[in-house]
Amino acid sequence: MVQAQQKADQQKQLKLWLSAVGQSRDRAAFAKLFEHYVPLIRAYSLAQEPGATLVADDLAQEVMIKIWNKAGSYNSSLANTNTWVFTLARNARIDALRRNGRYNTNIDADDLFEHLEDDGPDPFQAAQTLMTQETIHAGLAQLPKEQADVLHKVYLQGRSHQQASEELRLPLGTIKSRIRLALKKMHLLMGGQ
Amino acid sequence: MAITQHPSGDWLSAYAAGSLPLGQSLCVAAHLEYCSQCRQNYSRLSQLGGELMQTLEPAPSQKLSLEALMARIDTQPEQPPQDIEAEGLDLSPEPRQLSPDNNSGVPRSLRKLIPNGYDKLKWSRISWSIRSAELCRDDKGLKVELLRIKPGGASPKHTHLGDELTMVLQGSFSDEEGVYHAGDFMACDQTDTHTPVASVDRECICLTVTQAPIQLSGFFGRWFNPLLRRGYTPS
Ligand SMILES: [Zn+2]
Repeated sequence: MVQAQQKADQQKQLKLWLSAVGQSRDRAAFAKLFEHYVPLIRAYSLAQEPGATLVADDLAQEVMIKIWNKAGSYNSSLANTNTWVFTLARNARIDALRRNGRYNTNIDADDLFEHLEDDGPDPFQAAQTLMTQETIHAGLAQLPKEQADVLHKVYLQGRSHQQASEELRLPLGTIKSRIRLALKKMHLLMGGQ
Repeated sequence: MAITQHPSGDWLSAYAAGSLPLGQSLCVAAHLEYCSQCRQNYSRLSQLGGELMQTLEPAPSQKLSLEALMARIDTQPEQPPQDIEAEGLDLSPEPRQLSPDNNSGVPRSLRKLIPNGYDKLKWSRISWSIRSAELCRDDKGLKVELLRIKPGGASPKHTHLGDELTMVLQGSFSDEEGVYHAGDFMACDQTDTHTPVASVDRECICLTVTQAPIQLSGFFGRWFNPLLRRGYTPS
């Protein structure tokens, strides 16, 4: 309980800092965000490429610049700061991988996600669909390890289902069904999907 | 017409995680433009990503300094005002309208690849009732293409090799299981067997993402141009 309260307080604080950067280009607030998020963004990059510290520094730098540039468009009723930073880091990682990939492609992260930034015609409805941070944390804590491991592969290590199946030596169908079970257990999907 | 076919949770979460091949992500992105339920689920799945990221052991940087970063920020070309206007206020005539643009019918996520509408693409005929237009290859070499099926056009019964995605952009078609309309999203794998038929009254346009060059056309399976079976690829 104490921990949940701390997380809620921390999130409140992060939102204040982010709004201060968005509204008044507050450098002290940005320094706080830097302190909090740089180690997490680096950890996210290192989860995919262990040991690649230069890649991790580049990604962290790029995401922090995006935070500075886009803070004015952050809408705290549509996403908490962790979600928002995650989507920036995810997009930056997609574009970095794409630049270094084996195949050239002209699809980029903006094509995939930009049209979703305004979440539909009704922001109130959008806000209602969000779960609380505590609910998601409690759900994650209760997942069987085998399900949590697959989520870790897909979200943090950035592995495709096929790669996850090879690395965990499990059939592809097992990977997919573990993900569906995890999401079901956490009550994450609406509409019976 | 109500959308009945959605990406399952394993697809939607891989999209939110950014770990799908980009061509497949594009197909999911196009579906989300038609489907508010999946958009809501996408928000939650992104939230899951945000919280998973917080479970990582923080890895502070030895090299990255705030001063150096601020120096980069201060010397970058002027851009924040434009950013805020484009994303925060969005003064365009359809500010929160996510559904595909009415003029061309092309989903926003595909507009870069289809800048001038479907008719201006380079279509190749692959059977009497079907034409195809390749849009691009993705980062894994998957082929992203459109298929255009004449009213009533049909495909022989077939199965699939790997994961193949299809999304209906215009018109409708049916198979043994049901009728599919604009916005419907189908993932097929080798366990699926079916016989799709485009609706008789209107042509049908679909987006497909397949493993090139083995497969030609996702939900519709291989089209049965005898030249294709001999390994001839139309240019
Ligand atoms: Zn849907």
